[in-house]
Amino acid sequence: MISDSIPRPASAARQLFLARSDFDALIGALRASGRTVIGPTIRDGAIVYDEIESAAMLPAGMGDEQSAGRYRLTDRGDGLLFGYTVGPTSWKRFTFPPQLNIAEARRAGGVAFDQPPVEVPQLAFLGVRACEIAALAVQDRVFLGGQFTDEDFRARRKAALVVAVQCTTYSSTCFCSSMGTGPAVRGGYDILLTEIEDGFVVQVGSPSGAAIVTQLPTRKPTHAETGAAIDSVEAVRAGLGEPLPMAGVDERLKQQLENPHWGVVADRCVECGNCTMACPTCFCTASVERSDMEGRLSVTERVWDSCFDVNFARVAGGDFRGRPRDRYRQWLTHKFSSWMDQFGSFGCVGCGRCIAWCPVAIDVREELEAIAPVVPPVERPVAVEPAAASPGAFSLARLASVKEETVDTTTLTLMDLDPAFLAARPGQFVMVALPGFPTVPISISRIGTTSIELSIRAVGATSTALTSLHPGSRLGLRGPLGTFWPIEDAYGRHAVVVAGGVGLAPLRGLVEALIASRDRFESVTLYYGARTPEDRLFRDDLARWTTIKAIDVAVTVDRAGVDWKGRVGVVTALFDMMTQDCSRVTAYVVGPERMMQASVQSLIAKGVPPDRICVSMERHMECGIGLCGHCQTGRFFVCKDGPVFRLSELGDLYVREGL
Amino acid sequence: MDENASVISMLDHTWFGSELAPETQEKLASLGSIMSFRPEEVILQEGEESIEFGILLSGRLALRTLVPERGPVTILSVEPGDVFGWSAILPEATAHSTVVATEPSKALVIDGMTLRAALKSDHGLAAGLYPRVLQAVARRLRATRLQLLDLFT
Amino acid sequence: MASTEKTARPRVAVAKFASCDGCQLTLLNLEEQLIEIVSRYDIVEFPEATSRHQPGPYDVVFVEGSISAPEHLEQIKALRKQARLLVTIGACATSGGIQALRNWADHDAFRAAVYEHPEWIESLAMTTPVSEHVKVDAELRGCPIDGGQLLEVLTAVLVGRRPQIREEAVCRECKRKGIVCLVVARGEACMGPMTAAGCGALCPSYGRGCYGCFGARTGVNARAWSEAMQAAGRPPEEVWRLFAGFTAYSEPFRPIITELGKAK
Repeated sequence: MISDSIPRPASAARQLFLARSDFDALIGALRASGRTVIGPTIRDGAIVYDEIESAAMLPAGMGDEQSAGRYRLTDRGDGLLFGYTVGPTSWKRFTFPPQLNIAEARRAGGVAFDQPPVEVPQLAFLGVRACEIAALAVQDRVFLGGQFTDEDFRARRKAALVVAVQCTTYSSTCFCSSMGTGPAVRGGYDILLTEIEDGFVVQVGSPSGAAIVTQLPTRKPTHAETGAAIDSVEAVRAGLGEPLPMAGVDERLKQQLENPHWGVVADRCVECGNCTMACPTCFCTASVERSDMEGRLSVTERVWDSCFDVNFARVAGGDFRGRPRDRYRQWLTHKFSSWMDQFGSFGCVGCGRCIAWCPVAIDVREELEAIAPVVPPVERPVAVEPAAASPGAFSLARLASVKEETVDTTTLTLMDLDPAFLAARPGQFVMVALPGFPTVPISISRIGTTSIELSIRAVGATSTALTSLHPGSRLGLRGPLGTFWPIEDAYGRHAVVVAGGVGLAPLRGLVEALIASRDRFESVTLYYGARTPEDRLFRDDLARWTTIKAIDVAVTVDRAGVDWKGRVGVVTALFDMMTQDCSRVTAYVVGPERMMQASVQSLIAKGVPPDRICVSMERHMECGIGLCGHCQTGRFFVCKDGPVFRLSELGDLYVREGL
Repeated sequence: MDENASVISMLDHTWFGSELAPETQEKLASLGSIMSFRPEEVILQEGEESIEFGILLSGRLALRTLVPERGPVTILSVEPGDVFGWSAILPEATAHSTVVATEPSKALVIDGMTLRAALKSDHGLAAGLYPRVLQAVARRLRATRLQLLDLFT
Repeated sequence: MASTEKTARPRVAVAKFASCDGCQLTLLNLEEQLIEIVSRYDIVEFPEATSRHQPGPYDVVFVEGSISAPEHLEQIKALRKQARLLVTIGACATSGGIQALRNWADHDAFRAAVYEHPEWIESLAMTTPVSEHVKVDAELRGCPIDGGQLLEVLTAVLVGRRPQIREEAVCRECKRKGIVCLVVARGEACMGPMTAAGCGALCPSYGRGCYGCFGARTGVNARAWSEAMQAAGRPPEEVWRLFAGFTAYSEPFRPIITELGKAK
């Protein structure tokens, strides 16, 4: 078949019609040509591939209903011979047998190794689906496409005539259209059948196929019949729906080798190997020696093996894949990623057998989605149209009052502002301009009815200048910019705010908003850490919050003198006291970079879901509106796509150096 | 004994004590006694040789050390549930910092020599106590490392 | 290595602890190979089959049965000293067997319920696999063991190679044989995914779920199977029954049985 097949374009001139009542003629002709016909037949509650002697053995009128871990035969109530989808057997059973003697070794006098002669039966595969043709082609590439070949496979492939069948039905486990292998058959066959109501539209695909078909009582099909054939395949394509975004999954998987989700799947997987056995392309084997008791004659048997085998990667020095998660990752990444590098295509053809025949109902489509999803474009809710949102433009504001919070941090209250600033949401920031100084981004620490507050730590030239301003001064603003804290992420959950040092500034508005709608949250907690008691920001607010019941406040400092009677210790130690169920916590974290990372790691370790942890990122910004390019990290512009992010969207980015 | 039962119950509610086996809790309760401390009362003095092992039940303690030119600095506070004076378990036991109560506090306190003798003779107690003390020390070490990084620069 | 024969055939002994004898019988059931086995091995101690009785040392000792009575503790240690290779055979010797179900029960209450004079019955509160007491060189699992695997061990010892006993799930044998999975296709209970292969998927080939008599594969994720079965609607009582069988005391099964025992 492999050297014979010439994909022919479907053309009416080459199509024939065979009545269903004449189907035995096809089986008869195949057998008469010296072939054993392997086709679908019912056994033990499934449609398997086995020897067929007549059309009576075909599963007429039977279909199947499949889902993860479940397969049931159904009675379709019609007479269709091929109204089912793939079952537990695949054609690899016949091209690549589960057990095969591949060598004989003799030890008598000397040592001799013989390979048994390749003797393969002449077969006809009846009922090969598009995905299965693709699987045979995948195995062709594996066994025949490289420097070293498997001649037994070649012989068996050559000796098997392929009678393909268009799929006119599909299962929920089918995803051939996502893998580009179906539902339509487009080549790789000797004979192609499309089943319609009264019979089959027949297409010849090769000289061997032609030799069989000429013996059959066929006639030219009517237009209605060829139309019905096309329609039935189209109906399957439509029914399968939108294909999954598999393009590029091989590259995406390469980036996810450390994804913790591998451990999540591994917790469900029992490593029975059913997926690899049922898969039509898995090709790993083991060699088993069977010898007589003297060891004088031994036979090497090649048996289907599985990369899930606990000893699969073991050598004397150790085990290269010792954990279940390593083995699951090997299987999935081989099938959907490294196979592409090795053989130029995916190993998976979308037949769905691994999904149906997995006894714990693991669905590879779901796992791929969890581990290597296509990253959707970032959608940002907009608070209000910012003022002065173009390069060089600034909106004037007047400094109304100045308050020294700590030795190096000062809060500026600004009034006479563009109304856009008063519509800002907690978490947003403004670009602040002072003539002669570089523009800097500053978080808004309070949004009032007629004013906003900026709490600035004097670390550079601009910030030092800003903190030295006197009331009455004017300065330029652009904003409000960026994303804001998603307070709704905490509805019905425990809202936990973690602030470090000046990080309390962008969070103050959030704390006030949480207190204001306290009944929407299960609990509200603030954990605040500062270097020393003197470095605490907003001490009046802290004092007030400590007294009200709506919020629990725990403050800690890194070190203190004897006057401090409060907690001394690292801020993450405060989490140790968390009694809330961490899976129901939503955390909002801001502070110096190291403190944020330590806090985030601690929260994740305690079980707070990454999509419920929000951080505010700090980056070098010169415009605040995504035009200067400085604040990029990965694919994000921190000024536009942030500064507030959910940890789950940052993924790898958050812990990687140098991005 | 009723007294022991209430001590065991208090112990069971602490972070440190809740993971101990019931037999270990019983032994600690019988070896130690509940003590109350007033604010600013010194429980352990830095450098002191005979020290006690304690599990804080309520209140707060400050661990202080004397830094030249800076005076006494609080490097850590001990919250209810945590331990202090864990080095009492070691043979050359000296206090590494001064332990002072900053609020009215209550703790289960065990004399160091008594504890060391008990651990030597009672292997069951040792098997029950050492792992948990190790966990407490590891937790403090992790926290100390973070403090060392000076998260606020 | 002492041998009284000039041909220096390996000396074999078969010992029995708490068991039914079925595994020893498997050796005798190797009818076609028996003559060759007896000609290549010197079976010097096998109470079931011969009245020959020779003390050790032995080259290979096959041990059937779990350690169940106080005197077993001494006997197995003494036996280990006499054996160059000690091979445990069967579910009792490798995992404690069905009698290991008593490990979860009140031993004294059991004795009192069964025997009129329980004080006359000397038994250990727990019955345990041989490997918990002495080093074991090879294990053959099963209830009873598979004759083919036994033959493989006998051959391996003679040839000088490691016996090729695979630790794969019964599922692999089913799939290689083309047996339709009865869990997926018929919703039946089966311990195949948990169990070590070696029987040729015997029970599934007769349309019956695997009993798990070859025991848990090393390190198998028993929790996942227990949860999957419960998610499929099986009550904890039923899942308990599936795990608490011939090889209940297999290490991966133990915590599951303990948990499910409380839930049912």
